[in-house]
This record gives sequence, structure tokens and C-alpha cells, in this order.
Amino acid sequence: MKTHSRWLAWVGLWFLALACLGPIGDAVAGEASGLAYYRQAKINWRQFEGQKLTIGLNKHPFTESLLPLISEFESLTGIKVEYLILPEQEYFSKLVVDLSQQRGEFTVIMTGPMRNWQYATPGWLAPLDDFLNDPKLTDKSWYKLEDFFPGLIAANRWNMKLGGGVGDGKLWSIPVLAESYILAYRKDIFDQHKIKVPTSMEEMAEAARLVKKHAGIDGVVARGIPAASTIATGFISGIKSYADGKWHESDEKLNSAFHDPRSVKFTQLWVDMVRESGPANWANMTWYDAMESFATGQAGMIADADFFAATYEDPKKSKVAGKVGYALVPPGPGGVTYSALWTWALGMSKATKNKEAAWLFIQWATSPRTLLNATVEFRNYNPSRASVMNNAQVQKVMGDWGSGGYVKTVQENLKTARVGWVPNPERTRLGDIWARALHEIYFKRATSEEALKKASAEMDKVLVEVGLKK
Amino acid sequence: MRSRTHEAVLPYILLLPAFLLLVGMLYPFCLGLYYSLTSYYLQYPHLFRFVGLGNYLALAKEPLFAYSLKFTLGYAAIGVIVQVGLGLGVALLLHSRIVGRGVLRAMMLMPLMMPPVITALMWKIMMASTKSGILNHLLSFLGLGPINWLGSVDSAMVSILIIDTWGNLPFVALILLGGLQSLPYEPYEAALVDGASGWNVFRFITLPLLKPFIVLAATFRVMDALRIFDVIYATTVGGPADATMNLHMRAFFFAFQWYQMGMGMAYAMVLLALVFLASYFLMGYWKRAAEQTTT
Repeated sequence: MKTHSRWLAWVGLWFLALACLGPIGDAVAGEASGLAYYRQAKINWRQFEGQKLTIGLNKHPFTESLLPLISEFESLTGIKVEYLILPEQEYFSKLVVDLSQQRGEFTVIMTGPMRNWQYATPGWLAPLDDFLNDPKLTDKSWYKLEDFFPGLIAANRWNMKLGGGVGDGKLWSIPVLAESYILAYRKDIFDQHKIKVPTSMEEMAEAARLVKKHAGIDGVVARGIPAASTIATGFISGIKSYADGKWHESDEKLNSAFHDPRSVKFTQLWVDMVRESGPANWANMTWYDAMESFATGQAGMIADADFFAATYEDPKKSKVAGKVGYALVPPGPGGVTYSALWTWALGMSKATKNKEAAWLFIQWATSPRTLLNATVEFRNYNPSRASVMNNAQVQKVMGDWGSGGYVKTVQENLKTARVGWVPNPERTRLGDIWARALHEIYFKRATSEEALKKASAEMDKVLVEVGLKK
Repeated sequence: MRSRTHEAVLPYILLLPAFLLLVGMLYPFCLGLYYSLTSYYLQYPHLFRFVGLGNYLALAKEPLFAYSLKFTLGYAAIGVIVQVGLGLGVALLLHSRIVGRGVLRAMMLMPLMMPPVITALMWKIMMASTKSGILNHLLSFLGLGPINWLGSVDSAMVSILIIDTWGNLPFVALILLGGLQSLPYEPYEAALVDGASGWNVFRFITLPLLKPFIVLAATFRVMDALRIFDVIYATTVGGPADATMNLHMRAFFFAFQWYQMGMGMAYAMVLLALVFLASYFLMGYWKRAAEQTTT
């Protein structure tokens, strides 16, 4: 009896010890296997040991996901990483100052398609193809570039021709997330009042009218501040779709075409819709205000970034979780939607002294495991890699949105989505001029035709002034 | 001998920090002035050349220059009258024997502790045109509104002025309250003996004695109102339809949105000249007013 109980006590102690040590053991194994994962790559991660990198980062979920992992990169490579994180506006200002003086203070930078046109034209960016194709620096079969959605890699390629050439030429940056633009609508209201989910711009205006009439809330909400960001999402996707992807704000010689009849017509429809059924303070609406307005149940529709769904569907932040339907931005007569596209991406400053070390950082930060962590742990939506998108955990979260409608809509959208703007280093200026024209129309200072004609002339003048156009 | 050189050098050593500060301020100013005379585009370094007054001449043709200049001056004029007027009222109230004066004086300082951008964002939410906008909600009890505060061309400037006033009124009131507390007793005692009415005491004793303080507060407010930026940037970005576009916003757009430093600095220099002129005249006026009250 006595020996029996002693034996039992021993067993109990063993279990206790295992239970205590278990988590520690797991953690140790986790870290080792974390590094082990990267060590599977057939390159020498430590070949630039002792070098130093400064990374310029914009305040963003992706950045948040990266920070806790940087020490892992340092112990993997022996490269010392310092970083500077700034809010978006300040980040871009500081970045341009650094790039333009070629100081190389920022080695790896956060950029994206439209920004690349701005930075590659004066020769401030280092193209990444040579690093990708160097077997000493990149294990291609481990890195799996083909795992990225092809459209997103294409968006970050550009052959440096103004007015075209996206998808062609050098790769300037590697996407860490993607956003395309879709229509989110209040399914509960649409169902209750038998409102048709719009499949044309005219129907969208009608749906907005009906929501306002029946539900007593704003029929539609959209960005409206007088700046390029107002154009960049729902509006540009709508106008490009309306013209079946055949109209662009400028031709290949950068002649502005705002005053083209298709553009005039669409702009009139859009502005009338916003004035008639949108929020009274449309003119002050930032992306955040618009998203917030929809999430708090004050609007029936919003055509904006797809990943805003993460907010709409989060019951802690949203009053409309589970009540939202997702659809494509209304197409034109051809029946195809041409959504615009943006990717945050990592690129490299040409003034960087430790280019190879910088590449190792980019490779590490955009590898499947690092990007998976960014999405799973830090809600970095939408994933730029198919393997992350198809990950069971990611699918489980996004699969629930709009009862499965979200994933289906985004996948459909990405088939035809492309960079919305025509390559032009003066893209910000162009967008600002465009948005101010919308204000003039909204406040009836000018007709759609007059305001857009004026915008074309103003933009042409700017381009002549900086020598981009004759 | 040694102590004499010591004495000769000492003032310069003591002035050194001030001198360094001056250089620290003059260097960016001179650089800005120089850039305003060049065609400096961050994105196109090859276009850099000296253009003399070219940028300033181009300003004349700039469609929004005249407008933003007018807005800047008009806003400063209206702003200073409203803020100094109200500030005087608040100061008189807090100077009088009212219940809870200590608490009110402490509470008055709260807006000063808030960063202007936070103030602006807070007001932007309160001024929402929808039902969630607390101001319109309150107005509805009075059977008024809703007012499209920041979202309409007609009311945007007034809305900006309200936000700006909320944030800066305490500053004006504080200066004037300090002034009121430092006024001499004798004229008031004499007025009491003569049986002067309250209004006459205010009109003929308080106001003249307080003049230097009023001018001082007005000087600070004019300078700030001329170069107001954060409130506008956080609420209307110069809109709707350019209704709140001032010189500072325009300078920001050119220099930091479009990286066109030459034009941006030309705008900034015009603004600087206005601020300088306004403060030069007001400080002269202040000096005269101060001399009058002390003699």
C-alpha cells in the first residue's frame, strides 16, 4: 500500500513537471524551428554579417507585424537593423527628401506602384530582378516568387515609359499586401426593400436613392476631401469600368483627357449621386470617415477598399457585422469591372550601400512564413501570396465575411483588377486637380464638362512646366 | 589686465547660446528664401536653376494665389476681433466675484493643453452633418439646424473659426486676466468716490489701462491666425471647393504634396512677410500703448 502510493506520487510529480516544462519546451522549439524554416533556403544568410541597415516604414499593420520579428532576422543574418516609423504623410515627405538627395539613409523602403513611378523616373530606386536571379542571394525554389498573385507582381513592374508600361520591365518592389476596390452594401436593407444590387452606374445611383428613401440613412458614402485619395479607390474603379477600361485620364503622351465625354458623363452621375443620396459633409470625408460611417450603419453602400471588410465584420468596431453584402463595382456596357489596385510593397533605395544585405531583408520580410504571420497575427489584409490567402486560418476568418461572398468577390475582382492610374510621376498632383474638379461640380460652381476641361488644361500646364510633356 | 579681457569676452560668451539659436533660425529662413528664387523640384533635380523673382511673378498668375491671400487676411482680421472680444469677456467674468471662480479659471486652461490637431479632429466629429454630430443633435432641441458645418462652402470658414477660437480663447483670456489683476487700485477708488457708473468705469478706466495687454494678445492671435494650418489640414484640407484655402495650405501643397519647393517657398515667404509686417506694426502700437499707460 505504501509503495503503491509512493509510486503514484512519483507519477504525479512527473506529470506536473511535464506540464510546467511543456510550454517552455514548445517555445524553444518554436524559435528554433522559426529560424530553421529560413535556414532551409539554400543561401548563406550570414554572408553580410556585421553590416547595418536602416529601414523606412510607414505606420501600418504590416509594419506592426514586422517589428517583433526583426530580432529574428538579426540573429539569422547577423545584420543590424535600425528602423524609422512615421505616419504616412510624414513618411512620404521624408522619403522623398532622402531619396532626392541620394543620402541612402533609408535602405529598404515601403512603396507601391504609383510611388514607384515617382521614384524610379529620377533613378532613385534599385531594380530587384538582379538580386532575385542571383543564386548566391536568392533561393528561388524556397522563396517562390510564383506564389505571389501575378497581377500584383505585374503592378510593381514598370518599363519607365510615361503613359504606359505597367507589368513590363523591371521589378521595383515586392508586394506585402493588396487592396482592390469593391462595393459593400447593406444586405439587410437591400433585401427588406427589394433593392437590386447595382450592375451599372445608373443602377447604383438608383439604389442609393432607394436606400435613402426607405431606410432614412445616407444611400451611399464616399471619400470627398479635395485630394488624390478621393479619386484613388471607388471613383477611379467606377470610371474605368464605366468606359469598359478604354478611357484613361491621359494618353500615352500624357495629354490629359478628363474632359472626354465618357469621363464627363460618369463624373456627373457620380457627383449627382453623392450630392443627392450621400452624406451632407461629403466634401470633408477622408477614407477613415467614409469607412466609419458605413461601419456604424449610417450609409447603405460604399465602393472602397476590399479589406475594409475586416472592420465592417468586426462586431467590436462595427454595427453592421454580418449584415453586409459584397459585389463588384458596377461594370460598364461591356459587363466587365476594372477595379483599380494598390499594393504596399518593399523596395530599395539606389543610394543604399549595403544593397545585398538590404535584399536579404526584403527576401526575408516577403517570404511566405513572414507574410503569413503578418496576416494571421496582425490582420495584414489582403494577402499578396496565394499560399497565405489559401491558408486554412486566413480562409476561416475571411470566409465568414458576407457569408462567403467576400472571398468570392475579391477573387473575381482580382481577375481584371489592374493599376488604375496611367504611369505619371505627377500622379499626386493629377489626383489633387481631379478631386478639386469634383468639388467644383458638387458645389455647382461649374458643369461637369467645364470643370473637367479646366482640370485637363491645368494638368497639361503642370506637365509642360516640369518637362514631362511638350 | 587679465580680468579686463575676461570682462570684454564675457558678454560674447553669454550671448553665444542666443547667437546659436539665431543661426539655427536664420539658416532655414535663408535657405527657404533662396529656394523661393529657384526652380527647385525635389523630383526633378535636373530642373534646378536660379530664376530670380520668377516664382513670385508666377504667383500672380496662379489661380488660387489671390484667393488664398484674401482668405488669409480676412480670416486673421475676423479671427482676432472675435477672439480678443470674447477673450476680454471671459477675462472680465473670471476677474469678477463669481461663484466657483477658482474652478472656472482652472477649467478654462483645458483647451490649451490639447494639441491643435486633436482639437480639430474632436470638433470634426462633433460637427458631423449627420445625426451622430453632437452639435446638430443639440441644435435640434432648439428647433434649429441641421447645419452642414464643415461640409458647405458657406459655413466652412466659420466652423474653422469656431474650432480655432475654442482652442485659443483661453490664451487671450489668460493674458487679459493677468492684465486686469495688475491694474492699479487708485483710479477705481477715485471713480467709486465720484460715483461713476459700471460702464463708464470700464470704458474710461479699465479699457485704456488694459490696452497694452489687448494689443499684446491681438498681436499673438494675428500672427497665429495668419499662419493657421493644423485645424484646416485636419478638417477640410482647404476645401470644400477651396473655401478654406489659405497661403499656408497652399505652401504645404506645393512643397510637401507636389514637391515643388520653389513655388512652395515663394508662398511661404509671402506668408512670412505678412506675419512680419503685422507683428511689426502691432508691436510698435503695443510699445506706444504701454508708454501711454505708464506715464
